[in-house]
Amino acid sequence: MTVNLTGVPSIDLLAITPVIAPVIALILILLIDALVPGGTRWRPAMDAIGLVGLIGAAVAVAALARDGSGPDRSTSCVTGPAGLLPQCSFVTSDLTLSLQAVILLAAVGCLLLSIDGPAASDRTSHHVLLLAAVAGATALAGARDLATLVVALETASLPAIGLIALRRDAQGAQAGVTMLLTAVASLGLLMLGVALIFLATGSLYLETIATTLSGSDLRPPVLAVAGLGTALSIAGIGFKISLVPFHLWTPDTYAGAPLPIAAFLSTVSKAAGVAALAVLLGLGLAPLAHVWVPIVGVLAVITMTVGNLVALRQQVAVRLLAWSTVAQAGWVLVPFASIDGSTEGIRTALAASVGYLLAYVVAGLAAFAVVVLLARHHPAGEEHTLQAYRGLARTEPLAAAVLGFALACLAGLPPGVMGLIAKVVVLKPLVDQQVWAIAGIAAVNVAIGLAYYLRWAGLLLAAPEQAPPRWRVRPAEGLVLGGAAAACVGLSVGGQFIAGLLPGVLH
Amino acid sequence: MSMDWLVPAASLLPLTAAFALLALRRLTAQAAARVGTLTCLATLILAVAATLITSDTGADHLEVDAPWVPALGMRAHLGLDGVSAPLVLLTALLGLLVCAHLVKIRPATASRANGRQLVACVLAVTGGAIATFTALDLLLFFVAFETVLIPMWFVIAVWGDDQQAGGEATRRDAANRFILYTATGSAVMLLGIILIALRTGTTDLVDLAQQGGSEMSTGVQIIAAVLIVLGLAVKAPMWPLHTWLPPAHTIAPTAGSVLLAGVLLKMGTYGLVRVAVPVLPEGMAEIAPYLGVFGVVGILWGGLACLVERDLKRLVALSSVAHMGFVLVGVASMTPTGLQGALFANIAHGIVTALLFFVVGALKDRHHSADLGVLGSGLRDRLPRLGWLLTLGAVAGLGLPGLAVFWGELLAITGAWESTVLGDLARPLAVLAAIGTAVAAAYWLRVLRVLWHGPPDERWTPSDLEPVTIGDATAHESITTAPLVLATVALGLAPGPLLALTAPAVRLLLGVEVSP
Repeated sequence: MTVNLTGVPSIDLLAITPVIAPVIALILILLIDALVPGGTRWRPAMDAIGLVGLIGAAVAVAALARDGSGPDRSTSCVTGPAGLLPQCSFVTSDLTLSLQAVILLAAVGCLLLSIDGPAASDRTSHHVLLLAAVAGATALAGARDLATLVVALETASLPAIGLIALRRDAQGAQAGVTMLLTAVASLGLLMLGVALIFLATGSLYLETIATTLSGSDLRPPVLAVAGLGTALSIAGIGFKISLVPFHLWTPDTYAGAPLPIAAFLSTVSKAAGVAALAVLLGLGLAPLAHVWVPIVGVLAVITMTVGNLVALRQQVAVRLLAWSTVAQAGWVLVPFASIDGSTEGIRTALAASVGYLLAYVVAGLAAFAVVVLLARHHPAGEEHTLQAYRGLARTEPLAAAVLGFALACLAGLPPGVMGLIAKVVVLKPLVDQQVWAIAGIAAVNVAIGLAYYLRWAGLLLAAPEQAPPRWRVRPAEGLVLGGAAAACVGLSVGGQFIAGLLPGVLH
Repeated sequence: MSMDWLVPAASLLPLTAAFALLALRRLTAQAAARVGTLTCLATLILAVAATLITSDTGADHLEVDAPWVPALGMRAHLGLDGVSAPLVLLTALLGLLVCAHLVKIRPATASRANGRQLVACVLAVTGGAIATFTALDLLLFFVAFETVLIPMWFVIAVWGDDQQAGGEATRRDAANRFILYTATGSAVMLLGIILIALRTGTTDLVDLAQQGGSEMSTGVQIIAAVLIVLGLAVKAPMWPLHTWLPPAHTIAPTAGSVLLAGVLLKMGTYGLVRVAVPVLPEGMAEIAPYLGVFGVVGILWGGLACLVERDLKRLVALSSVAHMGFVLVGVASMTPTGLQGALFANIAHGIVTALLFFVVGALKDRHHSADLGVLGSGLRDRLPRLGWLLTLGAVAGLGLPGLAVFWGELLAITGAWESTVLGDLARPLAVLAAIGTAVAAAYWLRVLRVLWHGPPDERWTPSDLEPVTIGDATAHESITTAPLVLATVALGLAPGPLLALTAPAVRLLLGVEVSP
């Protein structure tokens, strides 16, 4: 960490490579489009540049993680007020790196899945929007001041509106408008919340906010303003994660968006939202844990219960997936209910959340890959119901096996050992703090979720009604299918990766 | 040479074969059943070898131990001792018989969905159950416990009875009820397991049994015991959590019913003996009276329900609730005698009920119904071999001395009688359980009077107009049931070897000093 006394912050290039690499790729793609507009010959090059940008970012994350022996890297720091340590806007900690890793992993999958789908007709728009959103999401994981946090979160969410509208029909437009209104409303709430926190503490830096709020001489009005700001911020971010009751946009948007974009919303966007919540609450507002722990905990169990119950009744595959991602978001956030305000408690809870997020993203991508493939070969297209999966094990055994395994992982039952370990990881802090009510509701939700995942999986083995066309799997889709399946199996065998994802100290 | 590899091999072999069968698309259902039979035979040989070594070396059992998920303290710790060995043998044997049964299955059942996948599910259940019975790590035990759920769900939902009203919807309903009950139960159990792991800092069952709960306060032990016993009681099943069992057993194909009764129910009671009693002795002592009362209610309720039940398959399923009630009473006594009785009754019930389900399945295939009225009287003359097999299963089920079930239930009742943790309830419970055996005699004799006795039913007797198409047990059916008949008689006449095998392990689990 270097502090430049002239006031111009110095930048640690390696630390921000995970954010910069997608942006560089984005600029190159724009340049190509400007030089050879509409050139189809350059399409493979655009795909390659997009992928290299994402993989380059992932390599930087890996390099930073290997370098993890020393202190965390901080960058764009300014000297703090007299007597205080320098304050930094961007910190590369274990939390940052593991969130960035999950985001980039999901982004590579979504990009590959899109190449033959929504991106086929409009490479430039799709790649540019996706890379911008990913840059925002990775920046979010490292953001350590309120301004960076808000800007990064909006960078991560606004391009998603464009991505949804890539489906150029009425439904796509409607989904895009729904998402736009949601994004604007949530931005408003978040801005208001952040402004109140700033008002209460007088600082934009999370570290300083935490120090100020943990002071003993806080007057009640200050606490009230900060508490209100916290609640509004949770609401603002809650839209991104589809927390109930801020989830209403989710099913219509998923159904209206092109399927690979729905996959993007359910993995990258959701991970970005979790990152925002983890950073803001876990790092900046830790002293107010007694305010936000009950809010997030209750919202999490309501989210998983509502998501699971509504998913029970869904017939259209993508809508079922949409509601299941609502439920899974509840699982990701439920460890927050175990936080007792101590640093150790926050660390354990965040580690559990990120571990579950990883398992969910991998299994979700595998499921989406099969849904995308089936939609292309089914007369009903993206609107196909679960009945379309009847007898898939006979006609497409490999895809059926991947889908079955992914559903088992999402349900958390062997052979999906990965999902089971993720559920153990999530429930552990809850049992440790004896939050029995929430742990009990979560346990019941395991069974409810099982009901619809099995309903779907059961159709795979049933006798098919008619012989569907043989699938033609394109290389990029095959890569996602194989990669996600391999990751599901790999994480099932190496469950340590999920359970021990976040070993280091928090910053 | 160390033979420790035998233990993981016994569970990994069927599991690997299950995956292999799913991948081998060209295989016919019959060929797949043959592969399954050979796999289970090899598994049984491994299990026998492991049991022989274990009983030779006494307390020093076979085990492998390797880290798996260090962040959770989870280890791949598998081992075989006197408590697990009989159950592993039973599982391997039933897997073998079920696969052998599937070699000559009715074509109608095989064609509905691919029979190859049915064999794969059977192998997965066998492997998962063996892993459960050999797991010596609490979290590994849980993973293995859950492994059997999805394959069993498929067996019921896809290959279940197609003659019930409602068809696929009824099958789905029964299968869902089975998995939702047990999955909720195990999720609750998982909370208890995590609590133990957090408070003791270990998930190793050997270490936990040695601590004997000394690391946990009584309050924690009670919470953990309630959570774990609830989860296991759904599986066992304990009255009033048994309501998933009758539809599941009735709808499931013969292969599924045999595995459900013979293997899956045992996992619940095995968990009580392996986890609840040794790890949470104080907590269990507190809730033992409840367990005992529910067990006895199960015995009486199951028996009374059997008295009026008209569907033979459902009757066998309900009698399971009664039999498992004895096992629960034996566990609740927390005495060496009671626990030994519970383990013996576990094995005996597995063998006898598997035999009964094979016979009832054969009768149902021939008459297209298991209704007592439809089956009609005179099996003695009409189908003598099946009739005798049914009679043997029935008299064994009613606890006739000299057959397997008798010893287990006798020991369980004795254990309850001399139990201290049951307090004042001990003797009333023992007496009520003994009355339960009388009820069992009543309902089985009723079945025999209706089916075995009497003149051959005219509907099924050959006439000049309608040549009969119903044949007695084929050679194949006789061979598949023969090992069960032999085991029923052998365990009844010579209970000693099995009791000797479990005795040292039971004393170890209860923390009773072995007298020199």
